[in-house]
Amino acid sequence: MVGPLHYLFLGAVLFALGGVGVVLRRNALIVLMSIELMLNAVNLTFLTFSRFPLVKSAPTQAGFLSGHTAVFFVIAVAAAEAAVGLAIVIAVFRSRASVNVDEFDTLKF
Amino acid sequence: MEVSWLYLIPLLPLAGAAVNGLLGRWLPKAWLYAVALLVVLLSFCIGLFAWWQVAHIEGETAQLRQLVFTWFSVGSLRVDLGLTFDRLSGTLVLVVTGVGFLIHLYSVGYMDEDPGYWRYFAYLNLFVSMMLLLVLSDNLVAMFVGWEGVGLCSYLLVGFWYDDDAKAYAGRKAFIVNRIGDFGFLIGIFVLYLYTGQVSFQTLKVAPLSLGVASAAAALLFAGATGKSAQLPLYVWLPDAMAGPTPVSALIHAATMVTAGVYMVARLSFLYVQAPGVMAVVAVIGILTALVGALIGTSQMDIKRVLAYSTVSQLGYMFVGVGVGAFAAGTAHLITHAFFKACLFLGSGAVIHGLHGEQDMARMGGLRRLGLKHTAATFFIATVAITGVLPISGFFSKDEILAQALNTRAFDFLTLLPDPSSPRLAFLGPAIYAIGTVTALITSFYVWRCYLLTFEGEYRGPPEVHPHEAPWVMTLPLWVLAALSVVGALIVLPSHHLPFTWEHFTEGVFARPRGGPPMERLPELVAFGIALVVAWAGLLTAWSLYAPGRALEGDERIARAMPRLRRALASALYVDALYDRIVVKPLWATARTLWRAADVMIIDGLLVNGPAQVVAAVGSVLRRFQNGDVQRYAAVTAVGVLILVYVFLVRG
Amino acid sequence: MAETVLFWVFFAGVVVAGAQVILRRNPVHAAMSLVACFFFLAGVYLLLSAHLIAILQVMVYAGAVMVLFVFVILLLNLREEELSRERVTVWKGIGALAVAASVGLIVVFALRTAYSGPVRDLAVEQLPTGFGTVKAVGRALYLFSVLPFEVTSLLLTVAIVGAVVVAKGKI
Repeated sequence: MVGPLHYLFLGAVLFALGGVGVVLRRNALIVLMSIELMLNAVNLTFLTFSRFPLVKSAPTQAGFLSGHTAVFFVIAVAAAEAAVGLAIVIAVFRSRASVNVDEFDTLKF
Repeated sequence: MEVSWLYLIPLLPLAGAAVNGLLGRWLPKAWLYAVALLVVLLSFCIGLFAWWQVAHIEGETAQLRQLVFTWFSVGSLRVDLGLTFDRLSGTLVLVVTGVGFLIHLYSVGYMDEDPGYWRYFAYLNLFVSMMLLLVLSDNLVAMFVGWEGVGLCSYLLVGFWYDDDAKAYAGRKAFIVNRIGDFGFLIGIFVLYLYTGQVSFQTLKVAPLSLGVASAAAALLFAGATGKSAQLPLYVWLPDAMAGPTPVSALIHAATMVTAGVYMVARLSFLYVQAPGVMAVVAVIGILTALVGALIGTSQMDIKRVLAYSTVSQLGYMFVGVGVGAFAAGTAHLITHAFFKACLFLGSGAVIHGLHGEQDMARMGGLRRLGLKHTAATFFIATVAITGVLPISGFFSKDEILAQALNTRAFDFLTLLPDPSSPRLAFLGPAIYAIGTVTALITSFYVWRCYLLTFEGEYRGPPEVHPHEAPWVMTLPLWVLAALSVVGALIVLPSHHLPFTWEHFTEGVFARPRGGPPMERLPELVAFGIALVVAWAGLLTAWSLYAPGRALEGDERIARAMPRLRRALASALYVDALYDRIVVKPLWATARTLWRAADVMIIDGLLVNGPAQVVAAVGSVLRRFQNGDVQRYAAVTAVGVLILVYVFLVRG
Repeated sequence: MAETVLFWVFFAGVVVAGAQVILRRNPVHAAMSLVACFFFLAGVYLLLSAHLIAILQVMVYAGAVMVLFVFVILLLNLREEELSRERVTVWKGIGALAVAASVGLIVVFALRTAYSGPVRDLAVEQLPTGFGTVKAVGRALYLFSVLPFEVTSLLLTVAIVGAVVVAKGKI
């Protein structure tokens, strides 16, 4: 039987993959994709808890689908963030001819 | 008798100093002179008024007193600013303000062209105020305030021309050597307070003191006096203090400040008679200083230095006076010395002024005939007074001291060592008399030498310098002081039947030394005869060596006869070099080492720069965290998250 | 039974595709792997009875966002030599380990005690009213979170304008 723990475990793995990708990869586009992975892991977690609420909380009429509404908004925001982030990558690429995050290091001492 | 206006006497000059000091730069010259002269004159007049009253009150308690205010009161110690105007302090007030006024007047002429004249008069007024405080105060602490105050003014005035390094150094030397003595003075006050709980003269007079405590306190206070009054071994500042303007030398280093030590011993006569051993020490140091001062004075070429060593020598006489218990004689000589020494100094100032700054006697000579008539005449009169060739003031006061020393019984019961079977010190009095008489001969010799080399003979200076007489503001004080030198004899006449002598006047003020009244070892007239002979012997010796026509040959003849002695005396017995080697240089070395070790290395290096460098080092390490690499920021954030997760999940 | 099999299939798909995203050197390959990952995730969402979300995942995420990604990748036209070799510095390694470790700690310590006792399954309970259906989620959105909904539209407008301005170069 597949219970909530399985889904949550999947979410954890996905989040870890995304986090490692953000820290390790040097290509800015890959980093943005890793961020999308992390957001999806969060969505999965939301949905899991929406279906399998922790027993203590008794969801109200409005509450028991609040996880779904949250995921809805996360998807919208992720889309907006991806758009702006890619626009930034394009702008930076235009001036530096590189998408290597290691080379974007002028915001420093 | 309580009065309410005594405080004006020291306050008026202080106010004058404040006005001239703060506003003097912008005041018109005439106003500044008016303020400075007026405050001293007013103090003199008030002092005269008070003196007249005190002179008419009968008995020992002839005093005017005023408790101005309570300065501080801590625990059982209460220190007031109290003033006591009695026959001793009152007369000194008149001397200080009177001679002070004359010197202020003289300074108007002397310092007229100096750009810093306003500072000068402010300091001079301040000095008068502090000296008056010293003389009038009724307790040791207030006296010490005045004591330090005059020391400060001495520093300010000796180093008046501070642009010149040597002069500034002289000012520092005066202050520092004084300070050494002042340290002893302070410890003396502490000792007295520790054992009696009192600092006021009236209460100390009746406080019971053991021999040890009295001796310790007396000795320590006298240590302060050796500094302030330029006795052995702390006299070295006085000759150097001649770097200041000549009126300063006249006022501070002849008439008033240096006499503060004598005044202090006289004021505390009740303490000193309880410590006869210390009195013996005082007298011995006094006579030795007198001798050494006179000897060095014979070989100086700077006219002011001759007078400086003369002051040292005469102060020695005063201490002999108070040391053998003749407090009246000692203080009488203080007063007459103020007159003729001030006259001598002001006269030398007129000479220097007339020669546009020349102070070396080798380039003087024949000034009497070249126009300095008033100066020469007054200088002559003062010289007669100090050497005693004629029976005017100096003769009587100095030789009264010597007579008292000869006849004193204050040391009869003292023994050389604490062991009672060691020889008694009764011979000390006559011994002092003998040395004092020899010193009087030397004194007569060198002062006449000074007069002859300066005013008689041929002019030896450069031809372009035309000597001229001083203006009336300078010669008037000279004549007044010369007249006082003559007239002052009246108060020191030895006749005990005359009611207006100083000794009668101050009856009851001083305590009597133990041992009993003086015995007459030599008849009075014989002693005076010896003194007169000695004075004339000195004059004739000086005449034979330095007469007009021979002048500087005299020095050369002495130099040929006693070359080593002459050289030693000319360099003041190398005392300055000695002090320099054993005191000054080690202190400098210690200070430098401490500065390097403590200040530079520890405080600057470790405590101040240390933390700064630590911060800089830490900063240079930490700044690598902000290198602009976003992924590194994310990594660091992840580490932080890990720590937080660990703390909250694993450790609860 | 079928649920279990499907779950593990989807599980494997998500993990493998996600790993490929962070491991591929060529960004186009990574993008494609991400698309695959999104599809498998949509399947997982369906298993969770999140029907609307699953559709939205495919339509918006895989369909729009990833298309945008691919467009940009192709626009940048990165040549082979610009795709450099990875260099794992000390800090990056530490950071990666920290991420993994924190997730691991959460899994071990938080999840273990998360569902003690009976598990409520809302999909089963709420079956009559429709759990996760378009109608139910729509009702929840429009009745109980209208403001965030409208604000999100504003957010999207701003994002569009911002993206255009930033990417334009000369304003």
